[in-house]
Amino acid sequence: MRVEYINPFVESAYSVLKEVLNCQVSRGELYLKSTCTPVLGVAALVGLAGDVEGRILFDMSKDTAIKVASVMNGEELKELDDLGKATITELANMITAQAVTKLHDLGFKFDLTPPAIFTGDNMEVTTAEVEALIVPMIIPYGKVEINVAIRERI
Amino acid sequence: MKTKMDFPAINDRRPEGLKEDGTPYRVLIVDDSMFVTKQIGQILTSEGFEIAGIASDGQEAIDKYKELYPNVDLVTMDITMPKMDGVTALEKIMEFDKNAKVVMISALGKQDLVKKSLLLGAKNYIVKPLDRKKVLERIVMSLKK
Repeated sequence: MRVEYINPFVESAYSVLKEVLNCQVSRGELYLKSTCTPVLGVAALVGLAGDVEGRILFDMSKDTAIKVASVMNGEELKELDDLGKATITELANMITAQAVTKLHDLGFKFDLTPPAIFTGDNMEVTTAEVEALIVPMIIPYGKVEINVAIRERI
Repeated sequence: MKTKMDFPAINDRRPEGLKEDGTPYRVLIVDDSMFVTKQIGQILTSEGFEIAGIASDGQEAIDKYKELYPNVDLVTMDITMPKMDGVTALEKIMEFDKNAKVVMISALGKQDLVKKSLLLGAKNYIVKPLDRKKVLERIVMSLKK
């Protein structure tokens, strides 16, 4: 997978997280997974199809998801209820939309699926034949991993 | 002794959500995300606006607009929604009421649709993430247009 696909997602995750959470955001070390990837607890998945195809996963622990949703709503959520899930979905939407604008400007054309939220313990995601690049974004509430597995359509 | 009455009330600003006669502007919020409708609702009610209704897709937006008309002053319209998108709903609302005031709300990446909306008669647009200042500024500007 080409690294230029992940950069727009990292840049927009950085700016959107900073803006909606009003906090410090730092970028962890990028790493590559060629097999299956464990999911931290709450994952928002957006699919891509067009000149490039694959998926982006915004992955975080349940605790981090609840804290992020609480800050974005300006009220303390006790659990990841419907409002909490709608909030994480919206976060994924905003990050993806900004990144896609950048990729479109670079000449890649593709469509997106609405985000789907997965929650649970001991989950793994496997993307056959596409390696995943992962960049952890560190925020005061934990980390959000930007997990991108995209390839050019043959 | 001077009482408070003798001082001009310089801080007595009328909230942005109230008309000159003191009644609130009535807003229909259209968005399929519970998070976004809540966020817009909180921003608007804090300035005295009244939420006349909430719709979660384009078709529901048209139905609610017709039901509320003429007691609705402004619509905030999401673009990407199930069943019917916001641009189509805008078109139908403008056909029904050519003076409708609709403000489009979208994430980046939909510039073509935003342009199309403005040509179809949308008064303004707001790009997400939303913040209080941005939302109020654009909505107040649209009400004055």
